[in-house]
Amino acid sequence: MAVHESDICVIGGGITAVMLIERLAELKANLKITAVEAGRSIFDRENRGAYHRRALEYGEHPWHDDYIEDQQAKGMISMTMAVGGQALHWGGACNRFSEEDLRLRSMYGVADDWPIAWAELEKFYVQAERRLNVAGDPSPYAEDRRSAPYPQPAMPLSYNLQVLKKWAEQSGLKFSPLPLSRNVNTPFDGRGACGLYDTCGDVCPTGARYSPDYTYQQLIAAKKITLHDRMLVRKLVLADGKDTIAAAHGYHQDRPNEMTEYRARLFVLASGQCWSPHLLLLSANARFPNGIANRSGLVGRYMNGHKFISAQATIDEETFPGQNMTHSLISREFFRCATGKPFVRHDTRVWESSAGKEPRLRSTDGRLLLGDELLDDWRSRALKGSSVRLRAYYDSHPSADSRLTLDPASKNRYGDPMPKIDRQLDAAATAREGATLAHCTEVFERMAKASNGRLNGKPSVSNYWDHPAGGCRMGADPAKSVCDSFGRTHDHENLFVIGAPTLPTGGCTNGTLTFVALSMRSAGRVAELL
Amino acid sequence: MKRRQALKTLATAAAALPLSRVELRADELPADQVFILRDVAPTVLPSAIGAKGQNEAVDNFLRWIREYKEGVALSHGYGDPRLVKSGPSPAAGYSKQIIALQQAAQTRGGRFGALPIDVRRELLDAAFKAADVRNLPGRPDGKHVVADLMAHYFRSSGANDLCYNSRIGRNTYRAIRVTTVRPAPLGK
Repeated sequence: MAVHESDICVIGGGITAVMLIERLAELKANLKITAVEAGRSIFDRENRGAYHRRALEYGEHPWHDDYIEDQQAKGMISMTMAVGGQALHWGGACNRFSEEDLRLRSMYGVADDWPIAWAELEKFYVQAERRLNVAGDPSPYAEDRRSAPYPQPAMPLSYNLQVLKKWAEQSGLKFSPLPLSRNVNTPFDGRGACGLYDTCGDVCPTGARYSPDYTYQQLIAAKKITLHDRMLVRKLVLADGKDTIAAAHGYHQDRPNEMTEYRARLFVLASGQCWSPHLLLLSANARFPNGIANRSGLVGRYMNGHKFISAQATIDEETFPGQNMTHSLISREFFRCATGKPFVRHDTRVWESSAGKEPRLRSTDGRLLLGDELLDDWRSRALKGSSVRLRAYYDSHPSADSRLTLDPASKNRYGDPMPKIDRQLDAAATAREGATLAHCTEVFERMAKASNGRLNGKPSVSNYWDHPAGGCRMGADPAKSVCDSFGRTHDHENLFVIGAPTLPTGGCTNGTLTFVALSMRSAGRVAELL
Repeated sequence: MKRRQALKTLATAAAALPLSRVELRADELPADQVFILRDVAPTVLPSAIGAKGQNEAVDNFLRWIREYKEGVALSHGYGDPRLVKSGPSPAAGYSKQIIALQQAAQTRGGRFGALPIDVRRELLDAAFKAADVRNLPGRPDGKHVVADLMAHYFRSSGANDLCYNSRIGRNTYRAIRVTTVRPAPLGK
């Protein structure tokens, strides 16, 4: 058995892990930090231009072998398991939650409050935005006040989005460019400037969109961390007679029969909302028969995120699809819900679109279209008004039975049961589903009508929850939560869970910035303990 | 006229070749079949790009075929991810399809490109129906080589620019400032 000792062992290699490590290395220069990641390192930046081209031309996945075939979960929305995690191919959306997210019980009598004050979290939003070099404009809503400006002005709106902003604001809603983690005009932190390849959600050839692999490479080059990739941690082990964690047991993909024991003063579980609770449940032992950190019985419960409602509209204005398909507008109008009115919270998003205006092989009456006829048919549809993509992420509060469990029917090569995630709304959220859909439909219709437009069909509700989180909820009461607001588990003083799993509720807009802000805050607490 | 005559001569010669006896790699077409594809291109691609543009479209399509890789992981998707790998080269059936199209053209009077447009449409309509081609595929899928050629062109950034008569440059490297104004018309 190989033994690897360090001051701190971080399990997981995604964006929250690397942000915590980078901050820790600043706060405590001589810390011995080990990061252990089940997936592989994909550091071949020089090939990303080629991967971008092949993704566009052939639909190939640009992150080769970023998954482990027998390490998959039912109910997971992405297969990626690699150094950098899902932030290897995120869109870079960096919008904040709002104070209401942290005070749902106090303000509206729904879900639960977070054990952290908005003013406290806001400080760490600022830190996170600086590290991610977020480009954004101040919100037009006074309630979204900030203690510091964004590091960069917003990504300039394409001509299309300028047209759509004018159109959308006729409805009375105010829109801003979506804040993005993207080097707009100049390189930053070893990453290049944006070239508008429009494949941000697949691969960014220049590194303009933040990608954790850059930071890992910098940390490794500076000898700030030791990274063990392709090493699956299967168990956390208690110290003899104590509730502290003594070790993590890992198995390398090339040496599946050989255990590596990671010993550390402190362990940080940074494996995301799926694999963090999974490892805790998998590590059950005689003293913690329901799993590590699970005296409350809440590990793997309150799995959250948010559902969303989508629609397409046709409007009269002229746009030119393809200018900047991945950028969008956001309105935070409905982040607030007037007390005394039915509860509904959501963001409102607008994208350029070419839906319904693609080239086609046959006319409506079935005639085969060739050459100039096909082009004429395409033009007759494409140049007649524009398509607009609309979406609203809405507050979707989980019940305690929104769960991640160990699935005995699905096992990896070691025989470990894999996770099964089944998200469930709580009773109040279930009861208001119809009203939420009706509200969002009304908002979309109002926006469409402002330009003599119309919705193309009825808005539809997603069949999955986006930006998933939860499973190790934070709270002040050990009976009602897994960890405190810093992610320190109530049951084990030297075990932290950071990022997405700690969220009690998933907000109504993209979550990554919030996951990072919370991790930055955790880093300070961890540093104090070492 | 000289070009037409040359095409006719070449096509006649091509049609006489014992194509079925040639062992081909799945990802390449012999020169005579490429010639037939170039003969079809003016019918199925827009005239606005001219003969040069049509030939370039065929070249780009042939390059796409050549560089196709089998068994490569495709995008996993998001929300309901799945591990899907690329299948056999779509080009595996292209030779037979081209031969069949050429033979059908001969039964109707000769080289495909020289037939009346209604006959050309009829031949392609029948071929597409037989191959269950209902619309332009998202990417070439092997159902029919001509539909794949059309899809490869019409779903390109260049075709998008042509449709809107504007320099949009979808999915190509552009300075951000270029996108902040109404796209310039093509040709300027």
